[in-house]
Amino acid sequence: METVAIPTKAKISLIAITKQYITPRTGQTTLAVSDVSLNIQQGEFLCIVGPSGCGKSTILSMIAGLTKPSSGTISMDGNAIHGPGRERGVVFQDYALFPWKTVRENIEFGPRFRDRAPLSTAARRELVDHYIELVSLNGSEDKYPHELSGGMRQRCAFARALANEPDVLLMDEPFAALDAQTRLILQEELLRIWGEELPRDKRKTVVFITHGIDEAVFLADRVAVMSNHPGQIKMEKPIGLPRPRNEGVRLTTDFQKLVDEIWQLIRHDAYEATIGKAGIKQA
Amino acid sequence: MSLEEKTADRTSSPRASGVPSAVSTMLIYLRSMGIFALIWYAGAWWIGNPVLLPSPVAVVQSLFSLIASGEVASNAASSLQRLAMGFAGAALIGIPLGLLMGMSRILYALVDPLIELLRPISGIAWIPLGMFILGVGETLPTAIMFYGAFFPIVINTLIGVRSVDERLIQAAKVLGVGRSSIILNVVLPASLPNILVGLRLGAGAAWTAMVAAELIGAPSGLGFAVEWYRELLMTPSVLAFVFLIGLFGYLFDKLLRALQTAITPWANISREVI
Repeated sequence: METVAIPTKAKISLIAITKQYITPRTGQTTLAVSDVSLNIQQGEFLCIVGPSGCGKSTILSMIAGLTKPSSGTISMDGNAIHGPGRERGVVFQDYALFPWKTVRENIEFGPRFRDRAPLSTAARRELVDHYIELVSLNGSEDKYPHELSGGMRQRCAFARALANEPDVLLMDEPFAALDAQTRLILQEELLRIWGEELPRDKRKTVVFITHGIDEAVFLADRVAVMSNHPGQIKMEKPIGLPRPRNEGVRLTTDFQKLVDEIWQLIRHDAYEATIGKAGIKQA
Repeated sequence: MSLEEKTADRTSSPRASGVPSAVSTMLIYLRSMGIFALIWYAGAWWIGNPVLLPSPVAVVQSLFSLIASGEVASNAASSLQRLAMGFAGAALIGIPLGLLMGMSRILYALVDPLIELLRPISGIAWIPLGMFILGVGETLPTAIMFYGAFFPIVINTLIGVRSVDERLIQAAKVLGVGRSSIILNVVLPASLPNILVGLRLGAGAAWTAMVAAELIGAPSGLGFAVEWYRELLMTPSVLAFVFLIGLFGYLFDKLLRALQTAITPWANISREVI
């Protein structure tokens, strides 16, 4: 196990987070997340990987303020998180676009309807234009979500989160529903939009949930690897690959080694999650 | 990008062929109507008693003379006026009630048992009591229509609010949008397709109940005219008004359907990942 020195001033900090669920039908308690502590630095791109059902989405949901931890504290810039807030934007796995709103209206939803400091029509127009341009949705501004392809919906959801100008971006398996080629393209796009070349204090802090190890290694500054039953962080792996990264990085031995190292670590859990305990003995 | 555009095109407008399909629908419609008229004609000829079953020609003739005399217009006007009143009242009370019930557990627990108890009782069952209390006049058919329209509207609005995708509410919350704004800009539009379904069902139920109420408890209206000409044994006129009841009910539903596609275009697309 590798130890990572805990820096003094983290952007987001999770201290001894536990989350239990009670199944209403049986009354049984399930431990989804157990004693997770994690620090995320300003401008860091952190990926959390793990097998299905390891509680990684629960962690994201708790940072977003949509779920309350059973015990432990989560804070941002030293202030405890009690609920959802504009400073933490979320990109959901199923996009959650408003189907009755066009691309433009979806993207301007936050700046228009948020409680604090909503923008005027003119300011909004400029801002939304900028983000439509950034995610290359020009020409589709007036389409409805059902008229878009999966990749375009994804970019629209991304732009909606960005246009609200959060400090932290939380992404819950945003590329999971896409086909392989679109996913590769959007991974590179994501790094470009995030601003790989910018200095750390200018970048947004990103927490990115995925079950794709290669996706995590390609994107992240650091990968937190989770295990199942209960959901715990097994290892935090810094990814030292040089930035800006492009397709070529995937072919390097460093990349392959990192992917393999993480895979070996969660392999057992992944088998267990997929084919059950009986399957492992045979495998 | 080109691939994405292609898929976008495929999902956008499923009804691209406009004019030819409209004509063929019309032809199919006329064909089935023609067969119906033929059977009717044969039946009338077979029975040979115009009081029991007049021929379609006699009914059409009497329909034209009723239109010419202005009887159709005046009776249809009073029925439609009652429909407008009863239906608008049911919508104005039913939609907010359904919304509130969908959002407040306490109100739901309080009101729902009452609704579930009243809902299976047809409006027609209240007509005798209604005549007793309200007498013959405008109020009774309007009240019965209100009753008929009310339950489908409340229940479908409630279903609409209940089935709002929790993700959409979360999406608004994480953008820093407050509760009242979420109700106005997420919950309401998300339940609109169901509300419109409720309005359509409610209009249908109101129209059905209205005819029953007018048969007995009104001095005018399409239902009243049916009963009036029955007493005079003028069966062609009876059938002409029966036909008009069907026609107006159909047209009103058509109107609401058009409204549905116009204001909730997204709801007609099969629900995939949005």
